[in-house]
Amino acid sequence: MQYLLIIYGDEALRDQAVMQEIIAAHMRLGAELQEAGAMVGGNRLRSSDTATTVRTTGGVQSLHDGPYAETREQLGGYYLVEAPDLDAAVAWAKKIPGGPNYAVEVRPIWPVG
Amino acid sequence: MEAERILEEAVREAGDRIRAALAMRFRDLDMAEEAFAFASLRAVETWSRDGPPRDPAAWLYAVGRRRAFDLGRRAKVRADAVHDTPEPEPDPETILMAAFEPIPDERLRLIFVCCHPALAPEARIALTLRTLYGLSAERIARAWLTTEVAMLQRLTRAKRKIRDSGIRFEIPSPEAWGERLEAVLATLEIAYAQAYEDAAGAGDAADLASETLRLSGLLVELAPEEPEVLGLAALIRLTEARRPARLDETGAMTPLSEQDVGLWDRRLIGEAMALLRRAAELGRSGPYQLMAAIHAVHATRLETGFTAWANVVALYDALLTVRPSPIAAVNRAVALAEAQGADAGLAALNAVEGPGRLAAWLPYQAARAGLFAKAGRDAEAAEALRAALALHPAPAERLFLERRLASLG
Repeated sequence: MQYLLIIYGDEALRDQAVMQEIIAAHMRLGAELQEAGAMVGGNRLRSSDTATTVRTTGGVQSLHDGPYAETREQLGGYYLVEAPDLDAAVAWAKKIPGGPNYAVEVRPIWPVG
Repeated sequence: MEAERILEEAVREAGDRIRAALAMRFRDLDMAEEAFAFASLRAVETWSRDGPPRDPAAWLYAVGRRRAFDLGRRAKVRADAVHDTPEPEPDPETILMAAFEPIPDERLRLIFVCCHPALAPEARIALTLRTLYGLSAERIARAWLTTEVAMLQRLTRAKRKIRDSGIRFEIPSPEAWGERLEAVLATLEIAYAQAYEDAAGAGDAADLASETLRLSGLLVELAPEEPEVLGLAALIRLTEARRPARLDETGAMTPLSEQDVGLWDRRLIGEAMALLRRAAELGRSGPYQLMAAIHAVHATRLETGFTAWANVVALYDALLTVRPSPIAAVNRAVALAEAQGADAGLAALNAVEGPGRLAAWLPYQAARAGLFAKAGRDAEAAEALRAALALHPAPAERLFLERRLASLG
């Protein structure tokens, strides 16, 4: 099965040195995922103040400056992994680095065909 | 009538095995439930007409499998979506030939599926009791003080998540074993606590208590090498053993130290002590064993006539190290008061860090009242009792607190 591991974190309070460390940890995790044949894809996103939301209300579309939801913890990146089951996907999610407070949502991909 | 009696007996004896085997065979909880219901219905019809089979449980399993097979062929969807596709079912001929094959014991696997930590804690026990013991949603809902509709929704949601999120119908891998087992134990603990809350013990939750007791015993049978499994089973037995002594004839709560030990259930206590000894031999301590050991010290009063309070304090100290909680800290303070006097207890109680504001927490105020009374500080005891009464105690505890307040004059 494939799972999307969605990383939500606090965008503020980012110390440069700490950030570098986290990025390096992501690199190592990426290599480990590749090694295990579990890596399907993944990206870091630019911060939510660069987001544009296209909203359709009653069939009418409009653009909004900002992310879909204005919350303290914002979508910051994702991994798409191949895992045999939820336990294995959760094990990868636990390895995703971040600051002291962040969350990783594990969502199964709806299989196509 | 005879057919129904035989069915009832077979279900009581082997219902959990049959349900679990069906669920595992088809990796689908709904299908297993439906197949079991179908087999039970068919059993009454067939057995009334032709007489009961040699092995009613095996008959139920064979017919259930056949039914699930038919249902699966009709639905024929899940296989591609689910990772661990079951082996292809043999053709009907083979099933009939093998009708009396032993039923595989898949109960542990089923418990692990139903108690997966990715499921909401309140859904886990409901799902376990429903799929393993066939408890109706209505009965489970009553024990949890919710409606049948809400309970059915909770069960449906949990089953959908199991199906779609890739929760495997397998014993967890060694890496996940610890976390998964912890979730199973926590599920049972929460269920038993819920049952215990109902202090009268005569209501709908008592039902849940006996089922949880049974489930904890089954877990011991299935995972006898896990000391915490034994510890939890012992803990539940020791607590349950005191149920007959928990209320006096007026329905007021009787505190542990004032309970008539003659009312305690010696058989359950004996079982629990044996479980704890076995757990200790495995040489890995843990919070459930420690909690059970605390209860075991209390239970020893049955034999010795006294409580070794210093041991209780030491066990609470150990428990607070591995699993700190405000309630354990409060109970430790009360034990300390017994071991070293009310002042020591009050000092320890003052150092407790509670959930939110301590003054608004019932166990804290109740303990405080007891310790002030012990110290002869009646005015402060009365004040604490009034504070406790304002915090909505359950009826049995309310009666007890009111009586204490009245006795202070």
